[in-house]
Amino acid sequence: MSANGLPRCADIAPLLVFYACDEVEPLEREQIDAHLSVCATCAAQLREEQDVQSALVSAFQPADQLDPSGTLLAQCRSELSELLDDLSAPPLRERWSPFGWARQWMALRPAWSAAALVVLGLVVGTQVALWIPGREGNFVGGQAMNVKAATLTNEDLSRMAVAGVNFPAAADSAGTVQLQVRTEQPIVLSGSVDDVDVRRVLTYVVSNGERFDPGVRLDCLDVLKTRTGEKDVRHALLAAARKDQNAAVRMKALEALRDSAADNAVRETLLEALQHDANAGVRVEAVNMLVRSLESDGHDDSAASEDAPEIAGAQIPTDPSVHRVIRVLEGLQRRDPNPYVRLRSAAALRQIGPRETQ
Amino acid sequence: MPQLDERCIVAEAQTGNRAAFEELVRRYDRDVLRLALNLMKRPEDARDVYQEAFLKVYRNLHRFRFECSFYTWLYRIVTNVCLDHLRRRQARPEDQAPESNNGHADEGITDFFERQREHRPTLDPERRLFGKEIQARIATAMERLSPRERVVFEMKHYQGLKLRAIGEALGTTEETVKNSLFRATRKLRTQLGGLR
Repeated sequence: MSANGLPRCADIAPLLVFYACDEVEPLEREQIDAHLSVCATCAAQLREEQDVQSALVSAFQPADQLDPSGTLLAQCRSELSELLDDLSAPPLRERWSPFGWARQWMALRPAWSAAALVVLGLVVGTQVALWIPGREGNFVGGQAMNVKAATLTNEDLSRMAVAGVNFPAAADSAGTVQLQVRTEQPIVLSGSVDDVDVRRVLTYVVSNGERFDPGVRLDCLDVLKTRTGEKDVRHALLAAARKDQNAAVRMKALEALRDSAADNAVRETLLEALQHDANAGVRVEAVNMLVRSLESDGHDDSAASEDAPEIAGAQIPTDPSVHRVIRVLEGLQRRDPNPYVRLRSAAALRQIGPRETQ
Repeated sequence: MPQLDERCIVAEAQTGNRAAFEELVRRYDRDVLRLALNLMKRPEDARDVYQEAFLKVYRNLHRFRFECSFYTWLYRIVTNVCLDHLRRRQARPEDQAPESNNGHADEGITDFFERQREHRPTLDPERRLFGKEIQARIATAMERLSPRERVVFEMKHYQGLKLRAIGEALGTTEETVKNSLFRATRKLRTQLGGLR
């Protein structure tokens, strides 16, 4: 402070940075204003401060250039969603480690552990194998019994684990499917896909996704997609598309229903996926299927109107499902984080818009 | 969900409701990514910051006790992650963010506004004054700031936060934040001496 109690330039100058960005207390502001009205030097320094700050703030920010279209944001959201999927998935098995002490001992003594494991391997290899009955037999699948799927009870299903699914990809419409199942003892289930009992096992795996490996679920979907005309199959696919925790499985389930996209239940599932599925890939698949189904609806309608033009105008606007589709698409074209979904939604709206205004 | 329901959404997310958590992410992730992009200057680094920050939020949400706003708590996590990344990067000179190419660096031209006369007419009149040259100068000047100074400057001028809120987010006092901002502004003024 100066002798007359007024602040000096040395007191005011350090505050100008904060004055320029509106971060001073009311009392400080009054003092600065008073000083600036009589001090040209500080007033010039303030202008300089404001110029620099405004230049910095007005300049393009890296974010403007690095993600102008929001693609990176959409990618980040999609990746985060997948990470959360992984985190929220239940553990594959209970963490029970009866030999925890041994693992700890081995981790601390790697050299001794390696030697002990070699000795143990030699003992097991030379002695124990002698006592195993039928060791000459073929172990690869040799121990597994080949059984009919009908022999599996519901209780067996609830306890079984599926190790693999074999299904010839050839155009064999009555293809035989084989499932390596672990119940109390390994068995191989085999039968035609048209066999209701085989389908019961396959649909059980798909519908109870949390119990089985995603790879096995994908294999089962591969088999089931050849029979989407069956009610039980379609039901299982719809359940997987809605509830499975793995995005790849949900996407494949939708893909399997591609030919039935005009079906009400399928369309409902597509709309649900579009509104609630956090995975961008699933939503892209859903919007593509929805658009295709609308296209085919359009062709059907035009064909119908040629045959019966007097009902065409009355029927379409009263279809409540189309209104729901429009509502969802409108929401998507405004809010979906994925630019492709927004574009496809807008295109679909343009496509069905004229029909709705008839 | 309406804006007023944030406390309910946070509480719901704390019970493990995934949809509620994703609603929180959607509310703030645009700002978070923007902050990360401005600070890290590389999309892949910004993406790492985004994932790491929101995973930390997800794992620690049950510890949030509503003693400050969720926004402040989130920013505390995000800025800590950014500071970690920036410090790691400073420790590895080979891993610096790419500096913008300044074509006139050696020509001795100091008046940037003069150079910008060749700008494209399609840009808006105010922004076209600040073309690539100035961006390059600003980017270089920003690189000279310490990680903390850069975060404070970014949050004050580009995110529009008050110093008190920045202090809360960084877990420090308003006075400390003021000092950081003062130092940052001084350094930038020195670096951008010709920018008037």
